[in-house]
Amino acid sequence: MSAVPAVEVGRFGSGQQVKRVEDPALLAGKGQFTDDVAPARQLHVAFVRSPHAHARIVSIDTAAASKMPGVAAVFTGAQLAAAGVKPMPVVVPFKRPDGSDVVTAPRRALAHERVRFAGEAVAMVVAASRDGARAAADAVWVEYDELPAVTDAVAALKPDAPRVVDGLPDNIAAVSQHGDAKAVDAAFERAAVKVAVDIVNQRLAPSPIEPRTVLADFDAKSQRLTIRLSSQMPTGVRTSVCDALGLKPDAVRVVVGDVGGGFGMKTGAYPEDIALAHAARALQRPVKWRAERLEEFLSAVHGRDVVSHCEMALDANGKVLGVRVKAVGNTGAYATGTGILIPLVIGPWVTTSIYDIQAIDLRLQAVMTHTNTIGAYRGAGRPEAIYVIERLMDAAAREMRLDPAELRRRNMIRPDQMPYTNPMAQVYDCGQFEKILDQGLKLADWHGFAARREASRRAGKLRGRGIATFLEWTSGMAFEERVTVTVTPDGMIEVNSAVQGMGQGIATSLAQLAVDVFQVPLDRIRVVMGDTDRNNGFGSAGSRSLFIGGSSVHVASKRTIDEARKLAADALEAPAADIEYRSGRFSVSGTDLGIGLFELAGKQHDGRIYVDSTNAVGGPSWPNACHVCEVEIDPATGSVQLVAYASVNDIGRVVSPQIARGQVEGGAVQGVGQALLEHMAYDPAGQPLSASFMDYALPRVDGFRAFKTEFDTSIPCTTNAIGSKGVGELGTIGATPCVVNAVIDALDHAGQGRNAERVQMPLTPERVWRALHGDYDPPPLQG
Amino acid sequence: MPTVQFKINGRAAQAQAEPQDLLVDVIRGQLALTGTHVGCDTGQCGACTVLVDGQATRSCTLLAVQAQGCEVTTVEGLAHNGEPHALQRAFTDCHGLQCGFCTPGMLMSAAALLRENADPSEADIVDALEGNLCRCTGYVNIVASVQEAARLLRAKGAA
Repeated sequence: MSAVPAVEVGRFGSGQQVKRVEDPALLAGKGQFTDDVAPARQLHVAFVRSPHAHARIVSIDTAAASKMPGVAAVFTGAQLAAAGVKPMPVVVPFKRPDGSDVVTAPRRALAHERVRFAGEAVAMVVAASRDGARAAADAVWVEYDELPAVTDAVAALKPDAPRVVDGLPDNIAAVSQHGDAKAVDAAFERAAVKVAVDIVNQRLAPSPIEPRTVLADFDAKSQRLTIRLSSQMPTGVRTSVCDALGLKPDAVRVVVGDVGGGFGMKTGAYPEDIALAHAARALQRPVKWRAERLEEFLSAVHGRDVVSHCEMALDANGKVLGVRVKAVGNTGAYATGTGILIPLVIGPWVTTSIYDIQAIDLRLQAVMTHTNTIGAYRGAGRPEAIYVIERLMDAAAREMRLDPAELRRRNMIRPDQMPYTNPMAQVYDCGQFEKILDQGLKLADWHGFAARREASRRAGKLRGRGIATFLEWTSGMAFEERVTVTVTPDGMIEVNSAVQGMGQGIATSLAQLAVDVFQVPLDRIRVVMGDTDRNNGFGSAGSRSLFIGGSSVHVASKRTIDEARKLAADALEAPAADIEYRSGRFSVSGTDLGIGLFELAGKQHDGRIYVDSTNAVGGPSWPNACHVCEVEIDPATGSVQLVAYASVNDIGRVVSPQIARGQVEGGAVQGVGQALLEHMAYDPAGQPLSASFMDYALPRVDGFRAFKTEFDTSIPCTTNAIGSKGVGELGTIGATPCVVNAVIDALDHAGQGRNAERVQMPLTPERVWRALHGDYDPPPLQG
Repeated sequence: MPTVQFKINGRAAQAQAEPQDLLVDVIRGQLALTGTHVGCDTGQCGACTVLVDGQATRSCTLLAVQAQGCEVTTVEGLAHNGEPHALQRAFTDCHGLQCGFCTPGMLMSAAALLRENADPSEADIVDALEGNLCRCTGYVNIVASVQEAARLLRAKGAA
């Protein structure tokens, strides 16, 4: 008999609020973040980083540093190059304006001959202690020949701008043009209404609170390298390390324990990871690096940094006829595939969002500058694109003196148009956008705003109301996941997935999906992730973990039951068709004959039931939402207070309601951070100006917390096994335009009219105060 | 190397510390209590917050030798006789953590508050946690968790 008691599975399965399986260890201080693992004999790494945005490395003198106490080795870029460490590959299916392939400067683990952004690592010191390594790093003498630098992508387009890549005629990494320019020209010719907005989507520092940490160890006996690090993509790190060091995949194991926040910033390998891997092999000792916060601001990827000039044409009824966008995205010095893909492809996929707009003309440039690399940050392309269309919608509504919700309604794709193919050939499987809008307006008491505005006015405040209705693309373009399921006689079901927990609680959600199928208590499911020796895949990014990883867990669990049913039929000597499964037990229908799932596992020759299952979803999911917020501006100081925020979200089937709400609200606060607070700033010479938490303003606890968040679960995704849509990025994408639209509404009402649309993020008190007095920053793209 | 003696989580401890060694490095290193995290190494994020003689203190900006003779409590010392602290229960009930990296600091700052104030207002909680950064939760559920913990503790006290 099975030892498992009968349970009410409904208490633990999907749709139910459960306590997260991740929590007990994290709350007890027993988590296992990379820096919590400290093998005997571990050495510590400190990097020497370039103080210049652009310079030739004349010489590096490591003699003094090498003689300092406890120093095991000092590595330079020249040494790594001599040792055969290859630059990180950049694979980008794009072209430059002249049709030639993308050319980027070689990104090396340690800079060799040239540095191209302030903070680029040029040497690595390995020592017995962290302090010893730091002190020795300070003793490394690097002579630089400083070169002119450019940090602004538009400035980098000027003919005389300093070049990032030698020999190129310009700084353009890649260009892309989408849509039908003639059709859009015609739309603008016949339009009754035309509006334009200039947009700065400023550079952000993703800033997970856990800094990057890497522990690399080489086992001489097995000749294998083990890299433990904080990453969303263990397999991708393995691939990059193997490529750079010329190793076969089976020579490298990547292990990921707890990850203290990712937000896209921990996708793929960093140069530092490769440098440590090299050091561990060279020294045959475990070597560890925990980034200082300054290093995170300098060299962990940044997000956004796209400027654009955007136009919309509408007919007299407010039907959008066409959209034209000219945008310049900053890739940083070392353009990566991700950094180019985000502005040139991923953003454009959702430019028309939930609106029935077929005429688009998008002209996009990805431009290199002497700054840190731009990569993925929560939303990666969708926040930028949705910000554009939602700002245009508000501009058009203002021009037409229409309710912005009404203008959006007139343009929404109707349910009877599903599946809908947008002008970027993206197919939306489902969506009832007007229904979500109606619920959002009701939740926010949209029509009761006038009274609240009046109340704020009496209190000396300027109140504004903003809306964003939108969708997002999800999946990371990786639609498949492998899952293994192991049922053991000790009463456990181990589910192994290659998606990666990074704080979002995916282990809990995957366990709940397994509970749905196995009908056993949640504590019988053990979710295992983060070990490339066990499983490999794309990892966690693009809000894919639940709807792709979860679908694969669902399918693998069902396959396990199917497999076990055959084994039960053998054990019970009955036809498989007569075997029923319920709550951890197989029985022969109509009899009292039966066997427990775990007992059955014990009867197998290898003492377990094991299923190796790969499953793919049919396409991206299209989560969508209506977010509405209200702000109050203090006209004396220009400070903005968020005072109301309501959202109705369609993420299809909700597996873990509390986790989903946490994703939307926590994500929204990041989006509010972009709207009001955050800017990773460089001066024109390339010096970072906001490289600490005292200068880079993260949202703090004194911000807004009274979110009203609802989910409409009646519109499941039709292209995956569980009906869920992604949720990780939705809040971030919606909050930024929603808040900015509210501030512009308040400025408009305060007498700024359409001029208010010239205000740029972040909406700091200084900027808002100036806007109230008619003083705005110049548009980023002139002419 | 000087020897520093202090109490940690109720037990006597001693550690060898150079004058420049930080308390957090001793806690995480020699004492192997890795629940206290280093998020910014500059006293700006609050992840390393511990209690020193009952006061919420950033262990990354306190020299280990300054803890001589003090009573230090880390997140590992919150539970009592194997029973989770009310804050630990409330944080999981209210989903007050996601990645959990800032959480030990949040818990210790909140614990310091609840020692002083059994019935904190929302403003009191915001004030107590102003120096603790969280990038995941948006703070919504963290404040709710502290309110819930205070309620649990008051209910226990009344019982």
